[in-house]
Amino acid sequence: MNIEPTQLEKAVVLKVTGRMDAENAHEFEEACDRWISQGTRHLIAELDGLQYVSSMGLRSFLAVAQKLQSKSGSLSLAGLTGLPRQVFEMTRLIGVFPVYESTQQAIAKL
Amino acid sequence: MDREFVRLTLPASLDSLQALLDFAHAGADSAGLAQSDWEKLELVLEELLVNVARYAYQPESGDVELAYAVDGPGILALEISDTGRVFNPLEQPVPDLSAGLLDRPIGGLGLFLVRSLTNSLDYRREGGRNTVSFRVPGPARPGT
Repeated sequence: MNIEPTQLEKAVVLKVTGRMDAENAHEFEEACDRWISQGTRHLIAELDGLQYVSSMGLRSFLAVAQKLQSKSGSLSLAGLTGLPRQVFEMTRLIGVFPVYESTQQAIAKL
Repeated sequence: MDREFVRLTLPASLDSLQALLDFAHAGADSAGLAQSDWEKLELVLEELLVNVARYAYQPESGDVELAYAVDGPGILALEISDTGRVFNPLEQPVPDLSAGLLDRPIGGLGLFLVRSLTNSLDYRREGGRNTVSFRVPGPARPGT
């Protein structure tokens, strides 16, 4: 898994590519925590390059979103596709996060 | 149907995960499993094997056995077994999938995915062994 951050005016975009599994899901949460501790309140996870996510990855997304919500912030998901999208749909997490087709749409909604 | 299982036993730890997945991939190839079905199987195996690695023997250590058999064209039967503490994944509560973000429980989603993505999911405890068995592909419309 690779995580590439881009800082924008209102949010930080984290482009996540590869596989988020039991061994590395904590890296996503840690990356988000660093931005949150620096005062970032809106994170956008750009996920069109995410090939795989297991329940440990879902845990990380949930944990980050819960932290941000308690600070009046948000974690938006953009570009979910393939099996990761199916996993979010099956677990009905698709209704829990703000989900957008593209990062541009997610930015526009902030 | 008479099935012959191919078996691999490794230490129950995250370090064994990739070798077990590679082993299962060979089974998926011999069954002619579709790529999209393999991806779902990989997810199911990770969820179940991580559970064994984390909880079956803690704080001791032990082994996990993965076995597969071709069950027909494009169909693979699998079994995961360990000699750790009794754990029936079918008896675990289904997480509340209707809760909002702040009330959403963080755990329980892995076994929910396992149930959603497999067929004939079963558990037995015999001679001090937990065995979880299932077939893939799972239902045509998972999670419904």
